[in-house]
Amino acid sequence: MIVPYSHVLVLAGVLFLMGAAGAIARRNVFLILIGVEIMLNAAGLALVGASLHWGRPDGQAFVIFIMAVAAAEVAVGLALIVHCHRRTGSVNADDYRLLKG
Amino acid sequence: MTAVLLFLLLLPLAGAVLNAILGRHLPRRLVEVIASTAILGAFVMALLGFLSLGQRTVDVSFFQWFAVADFTAAMTVHYDPLAAIMALMVTLVSGLIHLYSVSFMRDDQDYVRYFCYLNLFVFAMLVITLADNLIFVYLGWEGVGFCSYALIGFWYSREANATAGRKAFLLTRLGDVAFGVALALFFVLFRNFSLSYINAHASDLGSGLATAVGLLLLWAAAGKSAQLPLSVWLPDAMAGPTPVSALIHAATMVTAGVYLLMRLFPVVSLSPTALLAIAAVGAVTTLYAALSALAQRDIKRVLAYSTISQVGYMVLAVGAADIIGGMFHLLSHAFFKSLLFLAAGYVIQACAEEHDLFRMGNLRRLLPAIFWPFLIGALALSAFPLIGGFFSKDRILLAAYLQPGAAYKVLWGLAALAALLTPLYTFRMFFLVFLERPDGRRETDLHPVPAFMAWIIWPLALLALVDGCLNLPFGPGKDWLAQYLAVVPGARPHLGAPAAVTLAMSLGSATLILMVLAFTWLLYRRGAPAFTWKGLAAFLFSGFYLDQLYDLFLVRPYRLMAQFLWQDVDERGIDRGVEGVGRGFLLFSGGLGWWATGRVSTYLKMLLLGLTAFLAVLAAGWLVW
Repeated sequence: MIVPYSHVLVLAGVLFLMGAAGAIARRNVFLILIGVEIMLNAAGLALVGASLHWGRPDGQAFVIFIMAVAAAEVAVGLALIVHCHRRTGSVNADDYRLLKG
Repeated sequence: MTAVLLFLLLLPLAGAVLNAILGRHLPRRLVEVIASTAILGAFVMALLGFLSLGQRTVDVSFFQWFAVADFTAAMTVHYDPLAAIMALMVTLVSGLIHLYSVSFMRDDQDYVRYFCYLNLFVFAMLVITLADNLIFVYLGWEGVGFCSYALIGFWYSREANATAGRKAFLLTRLGDVAFGVALALFFVLFRNFSLSYINAHASDLGSGLATAVGLLLLWAAAGKSAQLPLSVWLPDAMAGPTPVSALIHAATMVTAGVYLLMRLFPVVSLSPTALLAIAAVGAVTTLYAALSALAQRDIKRVLAYSTISQVGYMVLAVGAADIIGGMFHLLSHAFFKSLLFLAAGYVIQACAEEHDLFRMGNLRRLLPAIFWPFLIGALALSAFPLIGGFFSKDRILLAAYLQPGAAYKVLWGLAALAALLTPLYTFRMFFLVFLERPDGRRETDLHPVPAFMAWIIWPLALLALVDGCLNLPFGPGKDWLAQYLAVVPGARPHLGAPAAVTLAMSLGSATLILMVLAFTWLLYRRGAPAFTWKGLAAFLFSGFYLDQLYDLFLVRPYRLMAQFLWQDVDERGIDRGVEGVGRGFLLFSGGLGWWATGRVSTYLKMLLLGLTAFLAVLAAGWLVW
């Protein structure tokens, strides 16, 4: 393996933090969703790296699962966003405050 | 016989139910006819039963009421000469009082309620009279208590009347508790509630248990029969309509306690201690009430205290083991006391609802129709020689005198003293009401009263006059009542007194009573005498401050305790504690609510922070190990 395992992990960590920062900092629901997707992919990257490093294929199988789950999650998430937009007329996450105690 | 007894019980109940359901939609006359017919029908049944009974005892079971394992109660009737006589008296007196009430309540719009309760009362009283099963007796016992409560507070829109009703209910309830305990004890001891069974097996009881049962029954009887110390409700019960006072609080219900003691006499008589306690309560109550009656101003309260006093004689008779004397006095008292009350009701209506003796007077001239019946009643109450009350009271005094032991002699002395006070308070009332005096009533301030009310009480007057013939100590029909009741368990037809003692006692009491009567006439022929000792008068007027004693030792501590429990324990303690806990949770959740901003970014931030902290701890642990 040409790329050292530690580099893969650092890249995955940086990607995860960027995704998290995006999800937290953004107000737009789409961008939050994109942040979450980036975090998922960072985790997938770490799994692929580990799979190569240890020479075991389970990590790669997991990544395929993650992709399938992420696709389903995006489908549901987008549907929810469309629904919320219809109800509130906004895609700003701070406008969805029905749960405010 | 079964049908007769069934109708005897059911007719008054049917009258009450019919009037309760349909009364509002029927014309007034029909309601009155239904109520009176029901009672007069019951009287006919009682008469038929009496005539066909002879001296037998009939036990009839109508139906099983309820049964749980050993615990069974059935609607059973134990019809013996005692019950026959009592049923006859109850139906006759209440029938006449129903007729009187038709006139007395002529201006009252609530006649349906009145007649309904009156019929229901007669039903409950007949249940007490006839029932064999003690649970069934208890049904009647509570039934008369309820009807008494409802009728004392009949004019409930006045606060005082409603209070008097509640007071009567609560005080009689104090007595009923003892009856309930006695019932439980009977069940434990006999596994049976049948009165005749218990009487037949009474001798199995040990002396301690017999005393306990006797004292419990005495306490129960004291509640119902207004004996010391539970007597205070009866004078206040005069708040009810006068016919109610005549029926319930003179002739029938207040004798229920005594009647119960007579029915269970074989049990009661097992314990000399219980008998002595019964006699003592009776004798002391007799004297107490006679003294209290001396100072009353309200005509109905005089009669109420005289009732307590006379019922005391009956209790004394039971204590002296002479239930025949007790029953004899119960009968004559029922006639002359209902007569006196009904006559007093006439006088009160004629004087425009005036109860005060000192605002009457001159009524012999103004109300001649009521003078003679009232006089007969007053003579019978004072035990005027050869009138009904004389023989019955004499027999009781003789029975008390003949009981062995010095204690009975003392009790005899108290009762004899009360017997001398009786003409004094009776004729004090009579003279104040009827004799001429300058400040008495005038023709102009009298109200017209239907003549019917005066002549419907004549049957009672005649009975009061001649009911001594039931049990004359001499002549034809000698000792008829005693012979008739001889089959009742525990009855002693003959007291076994030497003829000289009997004669001396009769003559002595007759002479003394005549002397007291003459003395009373001298005192009261021109209104009340001037000399009065204020403190004593107030003491007697209030009934020995018995009400105030109750107030001081029971009502006020109870109120204080209730106040403490209400304001200090409940409001300041429990309520504030609960409210404090609630407020604490409100604050706490308010604090938590501050975290719940509703902003997704905050939640995510917190999620990541938490995750970081979690992983950091894990990593630290991994590094250290």
